[in-house]
Amino acid sequence: MLVLPALATPEALQAALAKITGGANVRRGRVKLQLPPLVENGNSVEFSVTVDSPMTSTDYVKAIHVFTEKNPQPYVINAYLGPHAGRARITTRTRLADSQTVHAVAELSDGSFWSDSVSVVVTLSACIGDLV
Amino acid sequence: MENINLNRRSFLVSSAVAGGGLALGLQLPFGITTAQAAETVPEINAWVVIKPDDSVVIRVARSEMGQGTITGLAQLVVEELECDWSKVSTEYPTPGENLKRNRVWQSYSTGGSRGIRTSHDYVRRGGAAARMMLMQAAADQWKVPVNQLTVNKGVIAHGASGRKVSYGKVAAAAAKLTPPDEKAIKLKDPKSWKVIGKPMKRFGTVDKVTGRQVYGADLKLPGMVNATIMECPVFGGKLKGFDAAKVTGMKGVKQVLRVGDSAVAVVADTWWHAKKALDALPAEWDFGDNVKVSSASIAEVLKAGLDAPQAFVGNKAGDIQSAIKGAAKTIDAVYEYPYQNHAPMEPMNATARYTPDRCEVWVPTQDGEASFAATLEASGLTADKCEVYKIDLGGGFGRRGAFQDYVKQAVLIAKQMPGTPVKLLWSREEDMRQGRYHPVMQCKLTGSFDSANNLTGLHMRLSGQSILASVRPAIVEKAGGKDPLAFQGVADSGEHSIGYTFPNLLIDHAMRNPHVPPGFWRGVNINQNAVFIECFMDELAHAAGQDPLEFRRKFMAQHPRNLGVLNAVAERIGWTKPAPKGRFRGLAQMKAFDSFVAAACEISVDSTGNKVKVHRIVAATDPGYAVNPAQIERQIAGSFVYGLSALFMQECTVKDGRIEQDNFHVYNSMRIAQMPKVESIIMATGGPIWGGIGEPTICVAAPAVLNAYFKATGKRLRSVPLKNQGIELV
Repeated sequence: MLVLPALATPEALQAALAKITGGANVRRGRVKLQLPPLVENGNSVEFSVTVDSPMTSTDYVKAIHVFTEKNPQPYVINAYLGPHAGRARITTRTRLADSQTVHAVAELSDGSFWSDSVSVVVTLSACIGDLV
Repeated sequence: MENINLNRRSFLVSSAVAGGGLALGLQLPFGITTAQAAETVPEINAWVVIKPDDSVVIRVARSEMGQGTITGLAQLVVEELECDWSKVSTEYPTPGENLKRNRVWQSYSTGGSRGIRTSHDYVRRGGAAARMMLMQAAADQWKVPVNQLTVNKGVIAHGASGRKVSYGKVAAAAAKLTPPDEKAIKLKDPKSWKVIGKPMKRFGTVDKVTGRQVYGADLKLPGMVNATIMECPVFGGKLKGFDAAKVTGMKGVKQVLRVGDSAVAVVADTWWHAKKALDALPAEWDFGDNVKVSSASIAEVLKAGLDAPQAFVGNKAGDIQSAIKGAAKTIDAVYEYPYQNHAPMEPMNATARYTPDRCEVWVPTQDGEASFAATLEASGLTADKCEVYKIDLGGGFGRRGAFQDYVKQAVLIAKQMPGTPVKLLWSREEDMRQGRYHPVMQCKLTGSFDSANNLTGLHMRLSGQSILASVRPAIVEKAGGKDPLAFQGVADSGEHSIGYTFPNLLIDHAMRNPHVPPGFWRGVNINQNAVFIECFMDELAHAAGQDPLEFRRKFMAQHPRNLGVLNAVAERIGWTKPAPKGRFRGLAQMKAFDSFVAAACEISVDSTGNKVKVHRIVAATDPGYAVNPAQIERQIAGSFVYGLSALFMQECTVKDGRIEQDNFHVYNSMRIAQMPKVESIIMATGGPIWGGIGEPTICVAAPAVLNAYFKATGKRLRSVPLKNQGIELV
């Protein structure tokens, strides 16, 4: 399984991950998840995932999956790629419900899985108190 | 004692959490300039720096905006540190440094009356850990067991040998020690507190009264240019275009810039030149459909919500429908509360300098980390290339925390002028037009009585705007569409729980969200909820033919601390004795931000009913712990300035999709002559929970006065502000 940081990982995340990997080993590396360490309110957060891959017809990234630990829906995006994509990189935006760790997993053409994780602090600068 | 002075402040930060060898000197206002040896100024830990002359610098992450929090937080550290208070000053660690150090200072958010109540434990631990390290250093030096040492006001003594050494002399050695294990830190019993609970004078007062204090609006950097901005006045609208050529020839004008998709800014040599050019700039807007919205159309939408079948339940007991159906008598009333603006004296501003390698921002902010996040987003640079320097605020009240729009704007402007520091200062008009307003709310209340005149049930139907649906939709989603914050002060549990137990109760919220952006206005939703429930409790008491105090008490048996503050104000104002001739009394109570508050006031009303004089307000607060009773008294008095101004004078109305009130002449605040005498009762009853101070008391101001007005005139006022009914505070 994916080596996660020492955090309570919700079952939903593990289940979503297992669905993708079929229980295969997920190694850390080759994937770079870029996400700011601090975000103002989490409503729309830009991130990018880049995978170290030559993107040739024999060695390419099949898919990039992004998961969050504390969003109501842990599975944020799956992007299917192929050799025609040219570059193994996606950029998009997501909502982050709270401070949490975001995981990116890349599925390669040889069937291996690689990952990166980033901890994000959603600054919650308001009179919200015990609601979060 | 001296507060931070921006011009000559030298902020020294060790490169490691404990006893690092090299320190970075952050020389404001230009960020990291030099690296220097650490031994001159040892950091004992993240919270405490002790200089060889025994002066002590306490690092405070929260922001000072006149509420006195840095003084209170320093008291908490000093209590455990056992240093000499007269040698203490404070400084802000930067948000960038916090990130680098794995958020050692934790949250920077200064809102929700949380400065002290959510950090008292870890800041005291910081002070205690530093004390233990200093004493260990002395013990090591004298080769004696540390438990033979005592400390008083920063002087460590070994009784047996008569040796003494001051903190400044062992600080360098202490900084090299391993910090004590968390479990080994034992905080003092509150009974032995010497600094906490004392009315220490607030830091920075001399600078403020002499004008030496540098606010964000005053900041000047070498080579700096000045900007001012206009965002589409209709919320949600876009900037179509502008004719820069019409103003580029005007005196001092340097640039006319688009900022995002909804704003245009002028940059000039002076702020006034920028403002004159912006006023003269022909700009075209796409207002969108919101241009059709007015206060009247919003009121209609809310009114429909009062009887709507669908509403989110916030608090429920028994069966309210049966209680109402089976009632011998019911009474109901509709209340309304308007949009209001924070309107701090210092308009929104931020100063930014951008290069592709570094972006720095100087800003008065209620959350340095949120400003930092906004800087990252707007600059597109990585965290190691950004920094934010906090400046004391000229008022915040909730505007400068969750919303960092002005920081993003400043960075986006600076990004278009690389290398040049740009100060963006909003005009007062912009500040009034681009608020994040106290949400608009109506409320229909129904009370049911049995034939013996006992209250059998209460239904409180809120209809109006959710702040969280706009600001933190994730929380609303998690709650199945409900905004739990809408029930502040009347919630079923938690820090804002209701202070009564009724046999049958339903408090529900028909969420109606107009396009006007809502925000956290000091006190947030307790302001309207206190008016609704506390005025209606008076209406119910009157309907039952009972004294408002006695009537309330019947439902407070399970709320001893609510009852405690209510009894305290009733006793002090002399509730059971007749009021002086021509004066009338009212009272109110609420729990908010984990504090219990109550107010009782004495007012007189002239024969027309239009001139109200508030003679006296007694206010009781039970926050559990009173860190600085003098600050608490000032916060309570200040709460009445804010609360009474809101009650009598303040409303933002909407016309053609935009806010009409554009300056203080149409958005007034009370003056000194209108200020009543405020008598504070601080009840520090202890317990595991620490309550907040800055916000709770505001909410009891309005209902106490409205209830007294009924006593004086027999007339119920159910709509805020009172100016709309021709009533003024004299």
